[in-house]
Order: sequence, then structure tokens, then C-alpha cells
Amino acid sequence: MKNLTAHLASAVSKIQKQHVQFVLAALVVLMLVLGAGAPVDGGGIGH
Amino acid sequence: MILGLAVIAGVLAGLFFARWNKETWQPPALRHIWLVVVFFLPQLFAFYLPATQNLFPAPLAAASLVISQLGLLTFCILNWRRAGISILTIGLLLNFVVILANGGWMPISPETVAQLVTPDAALHLEPGKRLGASKDILLAADAIVFPWLADRFAPPDWIPYRFAFSVGDIFIGAGAFILLAFPKQNTAFLQKESTHHANQSNF
Repeated sequence: MKNLTAHLASAVSKIQKQHVQFVLAALVVLMLVLGAGAPVDGGGIGH
Repeated sequence: MILGLAVIAGVLAGLFFARWNKETWQPPALRHIWLVVVFFLPQLFAFYLPATQNLFPAPLAAASLVISQLGLLTFCILNWRRAGISILTIGLLLNFVVILANGGWMPISPETVAQLVTPDAALHLEPGKRLGASKDILLAADAIVFPWLADRFAPPDWIPYRFAFSVGDIFIGAGAFILLAFPKQNTAFLQKESTHHANQSNF
């Protein structure tokens, strides 16, 4: 039981770390791309 | 919006390739990430946040764009050799040059705008003025410095989502996709670089 709990905790922490890394990387690249690019959206013109 | 799709496509491709190779997806190994966060902020407030984007007078918004892109360019140069960043840097440099040459704004001609909005909406636009809360300024085609680098391309008419983009934007989208779809190349490069430094310090 103790082993199972430890295993589960380890798995959860691993998944969480991967998720956080994933979200952070996507967010940084998104900021970089939005900051570097300058396309204009037709819907935003005139507003 | 359209560049956001390049990021989403890159993430999905990266996850697909990682699963295909039975590996976990590794984030791209980038340095000085704080530069992106800090130098994106001026643009976040001047162009993206609805609550603040109209509070910026035009000269301040233009200055925010130039300063922000200069900071992002520094980040790109510091990470130049990472796969994808080199392509993205070319795009950023192309956009930065045309923005700098046109008073801190990305120029767009009335001919290109006519492909995005209805003729009625186009009639209400004034040359020399910022287009909505965007980074673009409406300029007559012959008044644009470096017209080939301006927002002059639009998707085919059968695509309902209307937008205009520059040559630089194409490089930026492609660079972001490669960076996220093949992040392992960056990690491999970083390990190689670390080994190189370690070997140098041994001598």
C-alpha cells in the first residue's frame, strides 16, 4: 500500500512537471511569436 | 491569431513525433527566457489587452513596439543556433526593419485592406492612421518604405478568415513550428555545447 502510494505520488509529480514544462514552453513561444509578428486581422480593422 | 495557429500546430506536431519515437516531449532548450517575458509586456498592454490597448497614444504605442521588438531580437540572437530560432530571427529582423523605416508601425496599403474588409468599412479608414488596435498603419502604396516587407499578402478568397501578413510573418510562423515540432534538436545542441565548454575548461 505504501509502495503504491509512493509510486502514485511519483507518477503524479512527473506528469505535473511535464505539464508545467509543456505549458511554459508553449507560452514563451507564443509570446515570442505574437511579439515578433505583425499580421493584421480583418475583423479588428475599424474597431 | 494566425501565428497562434503556427504555435498550436508546432505543439501538436512535437507531441506526435515524440509519441512516434516513443519518447516524452522535451521543451525547447532556450536561454534568457526572461527577455521574452519582459519585452513582450509593452506589446501586451499596447496591442493585445482590450482594457489598455486604446489607452496608448500612437507615438507611445509605436515606441512600445520598437523597444519590444528590439528586446525580442536580442533574445533571438542569444539563441540564434537553436533549430527554428534562426528562421524566426530572420522574420523578426524583416518585420523590425520595415516597422522602423515606417515610423514604428507595420505599413499596409489601401489595396491590401480592400481584401480584408467590406468597401463600406474601407471608406471610413484614414491614410496615416493606425488600423484599430493593431500594429498596422494605413499608407498609400507609394508612401511605404520597403513595400515588399509590409503586410501585403492575404489568404485566397475562399478562406473566410481574413487577415494580411508580411514575408517576415511567414518566417516567424515557420520558425515557431520547427522550434516546437523538433525541440530535441535544441536539447542535443545544448548538450553538445555544454560538452564543448567542459572540454575547453579541462585544457
